[in-house]
Amino acid sequence: MGLHISTIIDGLYFFQIALHAKKGCCKTYSATQNVDYHCTLFQTEHKMSIEEVCRKYQTDIVQGLTNAKAAEYLIRDGPNALTPPPTTPEWVKFCRQLFGGFSVLLWTGAILCFLAYAIQASRSARSHMFDRLSLCLQLYLGIVLTAVVVITGCFSYFQEAKSSKIMESFKNMVPQQALVIREGEKVQINAEEVVGGDLVEVKGGDRIPADIRVVSAHGCKVDNSSLTGESEPQSRSPDCTHDNPLETRNIAFFSTNCVEGTARGIVICTGDNTVMGRIATLTSGLETGKTPIAKEIEHFIHIITGVAVFLGLTFFILAIVLGYSWLEAVIFLIGIIVANVPEGLLATVTVCLTLTAKRMAKKNCLVKNLEAVETLGSTSTICSDKTGTLTQNRMTVAHMWFDNQIHEADTTEDQSGASFDKSSITWISLARVAALCNRAQFKAGQDQLPILKRDVAGDASESALLKCIELSCGSVRAMRDRNKKVAEIPFNSTNKYQLSVHETEDLNDNRYLLVMKGAPERVLECCSTILVQGKEQPLDEELKEAFQNAYMELGGLGERVLGFCHVLLPEDQYPKGFAFDTDDVNFQTKDLCFVGLMSMIDPPRAAVPDAVGKCRSAGIKVIMVTGDHPITAKAIAKGVGIISEGNETVEDIAARLNIPVSQVNPRDAKACVCHGTDLKDLSQDQMDDILRNHTEIVFARTSPQQKLIIVEGCQRLGAIVAVTGDGVNDSPALKKADIGVAMGISGSDVSKQAADMILLDDNFASIVTGVEEGRLIFDNLKKSIAYTLTSNIPEITPFLLFIIVNIPLPLGTITILCIDLGTDMVPAISLAYEAAESDIMKRQPRNPFRDKLVNERLISIAYGQIVTAGFALGGFFAYFVILAENGFLPTTLVGIRLNWDDRSCNDLEDTYGQQWTYEQRKIVEFTCHTAFFVSIVVVQWADVIICKTRRNSVFQQGMRNKILIFGLFEETALAAFLSYCPGMDVALRMYPLKPSWWFCAFPYSFLIFVYDEVRKLLIRRNPGGWVERETYY
Amino acid sequence: MASTEDKAAKQESATGWKDSFYNPRTGEVLGRTGSSWALILLFYLVFYCFLAGMFALTMWVLLLTLDDYVPKYRDRVPYPGLVIRPNSLDLSFNKSDPLKYVQYVKHLESFLQRYNDSQQDKNDDCPPGEYFLQDDTEDMSKKACLFKRGFLSLCSGLSDTNFGYSEGKPCVLLKMNRIIGLKPRGDPYINCTVKRDTPIQMQYFPSEGRIDKKYFPYYGKKAHESYVQPLVAVELLLTKDDYNKELPVECRVEGSDLRNNDERDKFLGRVTFRVTVVE
Repeated sequence: MGLHISTIIDGLYFFQIALHAKKGCCKTYSATQNVDYHCTLFQTEHKMSIEEVCRKYQTDIVQGLTNAKAAEYLIRDGPNALTPPPTTPEWVKFCRQLFGGFSVLLWTGAILCFLAYAIQASRSARSHMFDRLSLCLQLYLGIVLTAVVVITGCFSYFQEAKSSKIMESFKNMVPQQALVIREGEKVQINAEEVVGGDLVEVKGGDRIPADIRVVSAHGCKVDNSSLTGESEPQSRSPDCTHDNPLETRNIAFFSTNCVEGTARGIVICTGDNTVMGRIATLTSGLETGKTPIAKEIEHFIHIITGVAVFLGLTFFILAIVLGYSWLEAVIFLIGIIVANVPEGLLATVTVCLTLTAKRMAKKNCLVKNLEAVETLGSTSTICSDKTGTLTQNRMTVAHMWFDNQIHEADTTEDQSGASFDKSSITWISLARVAALCNRAQFKAGQDQLPILKRDVAGDASESALLKCIELSCGSVRAMRDRNKKVAEIPFNSTNKYQLSVHETEDLNDNRYLLVMKGAPERVLECCSTILVQGKEQPLDEELKEAFQNAYMELGGLGERVLGFCHVLLPEDQYPKGFAFDTDDVNFQTKDLCFVGLMSMIDPPRAAVPDAVGKCRSAGIKVIMVTGDHPITAKAIAKGVGIISEGNETVEDIAARLNIPVSQVNPRDAKACVCHGTDLKDLSQDQMDDILRNHTEIVFARTSPQQKLIIVEGCQRLGAIVAVTGDGVNDSPALKKADIGVAMGISGSDVSKQAADMILLDDNFASIVTGVEEGRLIFDNLKKSIAYTLTSNIPEITPFLLFIIVNIPLPLGTITILCIDLGTDMVPAISLAYEAAESDIMKRQPRNPFRDKLVNERLISIAYGQIVTAGFALGGFFAYFVILAENGFLPTTLVGIRLNWDDRSCNDLEDTYGQQWTYEQRKIVEFTCHTAFFVSIVVVQWADVIICKTRRNSVFQQGMRNKILIFGLFEETALAAFLSYCPGMDVALRMYPLKPSWWFCAFPYSFLIFVYDEVRKLLIRRNPGGWVERETYY
Repeated sequence: MASTEDKAAKQESATGWKDSFYNPRTGEVLGRTGSSWALILLFYLVFYCFLAGMFALTMWVLLLTLDDYVPKYRDRVPYPGLVIRPNSLDLSFNKSDPLKYVQYVKHLESFLQRYNDSQQDKNDDCPPGEYFLQDDTEDMSKKACLFKRGFLSLCSGLSDTNFGYSEGKPCVLLKMNRIIGLKPRGDPYINCTVKRDTPIQMQYFPSEGRIDKKYFPYYGKKAHESYVQPLVAVELLLTKDDYNKELPVECRVEGSDLRNNDERDKFLGRVTFRVTVVE
């Protein structure tokens, strides 16, 4: 225990090193904070006498503070609560959404639009040539662009706000109460109102309201696990036992729990000044890096922005060189920016992540930060807690030894395991001893609950025994009622046993029954006989050896073993009414009859071995980090498969070959159980060596600070690390990890705040489902982006040809927005629902440096191949068809642009000699835009089916994605609506198409489908071949 | 971790970006070896050639479906637009400075070349007042009705080569757009008004600005090679009071079913232009 606490201080220096090693966060962590921290840590109250403490706080040991004094202190020190970490103001968050990502580009576009409008408007005041509608087009586009940015910004903002609201719900917990003595009266007050100098009283089950100096205690034990990670309760007493405030017994810490007994103490620190508060403040100073998916998206935005700006400026200059007016050039610039930016993409990504987060929440993974969804998918190492995460976090009787035989008890959560022979008389005796010599009892009002779910008042092993007996023999309470307790000696560390004396069930039998349980070797010392098959036999050497073997075996399983014995006291010596004196023992405690052994363990959760297996096949290394004893840790590790069958540690090899540990080549051992004390002495290289060369690692007896070292070590080796933790001291490790996973049930608030994800059921298996979802979403986002990007480039090609070949514009800016924000949205989102192509849990985790979300192959596929094949050509074909069928053959079109866009030219001649007014030909042009748009929709049908899979054929994958099918219909219906709805000609300048024009793009749609099927076939046929290397994204 | 990663990344990028152009160790140019470049370029060449072929094929199919004489759809041009010559909606000149109006005169002169007698004598003098309907012949070619410059009288440029511009009484020619198969009902004529309180005198050629039905229908450029549109000339008989003022003139096609009041298309059966004559 001492070790764990002293490492906190080590850890504090460690935090600082960690902090300074991180870029950019040194600022948030000021030097003054350091000093402050140490001053408080080295507080001296524990070394003062109680009177000195009272004097310091002007309080009284009996009367407590006066109300006036308390009120004064409350004003001076503030409420006794942790300051929540500074939150970003809502408007800043909103602005970040509004001006981040692609928004800047779109804002530029919108401003240029307004500028162009203003200039045109001022010109039209002088000339009457511009009619109102076309003048408004720029203004209109500017408004639409602004609306797009604002709407997508709002959307993302609300999505984010939603997920942070989930966190709010954790904060609003029932206020803690504290019992304080003020002016001599005991008052129950809100824990927030406790001030320094208050005299408080705590009893078993209470939470310590502040850091207190104990002045008196009766069997008081506190559970410091949330502070130190150590689960064994520690006793508290008024005596100063150590110079270090963290190790002395006379201080109890804020937010730890009092397990049993009562204590009275003077509050010495409140709120942020408490040890817990200090750690919480430190953690909030740690800044975490960007999540992998955020980096990926940023990388992607950089590429797209670069391309957009480059193309935009190139065309701007080109346009000027080609003799366009600069106003026209600005309009081209806007068009190219709008065409290049996938406006709907960020919203799509947010929706995809939200959908996954929702799906994960259903599976008990609550994601605080949307982007963490994907981080889990790229995780390559999981550092997991043992207690509660891998195990059920309740002691359970696992084995028994009686009748010279080891029996296995059922440890599963749902009692589905094997049972043993309960008919033996020895078992009945054993059960009776275990039930009677036991102070644990069920809390009231839980009769309808299953036995295993009931709350028990009492320590962990006794609860385990209670539940075990209740399960196999029925009501323990009834048994205790029938066997009234007459006397009892509670467990203490000198005796190492507990005994009690009861009346017997048989009313005619006036003898007393003495029952005892305790450390097996101590219990055995008290015995001279042993119960075998219901018969008392003398305890001979043979049986003693059998006992020793059983004890060793159970101990080797990492279980806590207890021995049980009993004796019926002879009536002549102890008649009815005999006064048993437990202080000065006046009765027989020797020559008892040994009944059996029972061993307990915190058993692994049922789903964990399977989940660990899945992790292993998914290439994820699972490292167990626990404060427990190495033997127990190893036993559980073996039980859940963290150390897989057949793999040996160095110690195992040594034992097998019967050679000293030092002679074993560490390389031969795949597994490793590392002791916390050893870890302290390891250099960085040695640490790396351990992490690199062992696939199966268990760290036992580690403190939460060492957990941070382990996390760092893993990250140094390039792993993306997920860390689970529940204690306050885990929070630095949780923050440090790429994804921190806090426990929803057992976790402390601070750890939940530091974590990115919360496991609502504390179950390790939930992490694995999370990993699966995270990997799936990465794959599906790739598909979604591939899909969105393919419709993006064909939106630029019209401008290209418009400027270079001088044909009428084939696709307008408004239509581009209709594609990006209208028809493309639902299909792109539907790809998030796509099922995995193969078992994604069978492949290695993605390498964040190599496997990018958007790589050159995706770009090449999207831009180079599918696009040109389907979209551009399909759209242009439709464009040429419409113009040709209306009289403008392609030969006439080339070079026609100047006249075409000249408002004063109202007798433009087509190929057939007809003459067109400006408005008449513009209607044809806008019909072409509509047709181009519809063609893109038609080709997008094929594209979304193509993007469904990256390797499999769509015929293998099937069309089971209902959302995708809905998307196909929605997209088509929307396109038809935009084309045929009356009024669209005015609103969006989209015109009804003749039915035959819908079919223009069909051959191209079919072509890209066939092309891509062939490509995927080649990828499947030639794994690693040229096609795969060049085109698999 | 962050810092070590950054350092590694920095080192990598320092040597990395030079290597990304040319890596002497692997012989890679822009991340690819020569053969790799060749292969990918070959692929794209073949791929794009194939696409070009495919596009050409579909375009060829498209052209096969088209008629040489009449476009497939004519519903986008149901009514003709009205345009003026000289081709400017803002006529402004100094009547005593020939340099200011010579461009208009030249323009009118060149526009009327097709209406010269030498050209029009080849065309038929068809009966007035009725459509000049012609059945399909073997070579599909159609005859055209003659329209001589002389019909425009004072505005023909024959008697007054300055089309009245030198006298401050400018001529403006109006023509309806050619539309295949258009047969206006009623008796279409052109009527011009000045959008102000006091009207000005105008003279129309042919008289009353009539457009004879015999010039309809039009059979298309290929079949109706020698077709000329009927013209209407308006001479604005401006007086001294009208000089130095901007006169907005609106001309409409009246007396027929041809639209002249479309909200959005300001040139459908009507045209508005401004005339400013400076003394």
